[in-house]
Amino acid sequence: MTDPLHDDAVSRRYRELPPEEPPRALDEAILAASQRAAQARPAPLVAPTGRRRWYVPLAAAAVIVLAAGLGLHLQLERPEVEDVTPPSPTVLAAPPPQEARPKVAEAKPPPQKQSAEPAPAAPAPPERSAESRPMSAPKPQAMEAPAPAAGARADDASRESARQSRDRAEQSVASSAMAKRSMAIEETPEKALERIAELRKAGKDDEADRALAEFRKRYPDFRISDEMKAKIERR
Amino acid sequence: MEGSDEALMLNYREGGAAAFEELYRRHKAALFRFVLRSVRERALAEELYQEIWMRVIEARSRYEPQAKFTTWLFTIAHHRLVDHWRKKGLQLAALDDAIDPPGAPDLEPHPILEGKQGLERFLRALEALPPAQREAFLLHEEAGMNVAEIARATGANEEAAKSRLRYALSKLKEALAE
Repeated sequence: MTDPLHDDAVSRRYRELPPEEPPRALDEAILAASQRAAQARPAPLVAPTGRRRWYVPLAAAAVIVLAAGLGLHLQLERPEVEDVTPPSPTVLAAPPPQEARPKVAEAKPPPQKQSAEPAPAAPAPPERSAESRPMSAPKPQAMEAPAPAAGARADDASRESARQSRDRAEQSVASSAMAKRSMAIEETPEKALERIAELRKAGKDDEADRALAEFRKRYPDFRISDEMKAKIERR
Repeated sequence: MEGSDEALMLNYREGGAAAFEELYRRHKAALFRFVLRSVRERALAEELYQEIWMRVIEARSRYEPQAKFTTWLFTIAHHRLVDHWRKKGLQLAALDDAIDPPGAPDLEPHPILEGKQGLERFLRALEALPPAQREAFLLHEEAGMNVAEIARATGANEEAAKSRLRYALSKLKEALAE
């Protein structure tokens, strides 16, 4: 198929015109420029490379800042979460469920048992069962663990050391939670009974009676051992 | 070095200096004649010609073989010539009608063509064409472009490109008949 817009005669005559070519110096200049550009191959990629160079540390810094912020946030949030968990005084007043007690007792024998009963071989089986129930409750442990002041210090320390290591922060969180629990408990039934026994022993019978009445009002279901009854009741 | 123009340009884009040399060797004469016969002034033609190749070098990272390399090369040349015409005060719309761009040098007898009156007359007729028609004819002859390719390289529609080429051929045929 011939091109209607092509004229052989015109084309032939055009080809008869002198063959013009660029001067050699121009050839060399252009080729030299092309070689320089090829050697400096990243030249057109300078901008992307530069962006990449900025991008990497920027991205790393962003990740670090986000991670640190998140960690700090979590550390500061945890104590507040713990604040929700401590049982209310009314819950503390009620004896814990039966099935929960033995587990706690097995996990950590209450230290009070040893101090209250220096001669463990002596006690009779009924006494032991009666003693073991209140003694195995978690409350005495909470009482004896950290003092409220120490707990408050630990609480403050945990907040101040928020930027420090996570382990330390967690320890602080745990101790602060314990402290809060212990503050919530005014006096355990066992302690109250011991206090009444001391009053009775000191001859302050009226005061002991009032305390005992208050105790029975406060812990109506608390089962007092015969040994303790002998100590706290008026003779 | 073997390979299509497009493959060579891709090779050069990836840093192959030898590929550019081959491309340059293939197209330097046609491009130089295209520029020289468009502006008719050798010093200016050399300057524009070098700038066109520099643009090719600079644009290598953006090169994508969506069209023939020659179309891409002569499109760059066209844009450079348009810039030149603009500096000369010639609007694009006038390129079809202008007979002699402002500032064009007086035509002297070509030393090689002296005595060859037919060729001299043909060259005069070519140089007397309006820039747009001359460009269409030169793209057809030097770059081997058809109407569609001329339209693409010059940013014109095909009808305009076809019309320009037809007018150019008509006037050059008249010069041959004289």
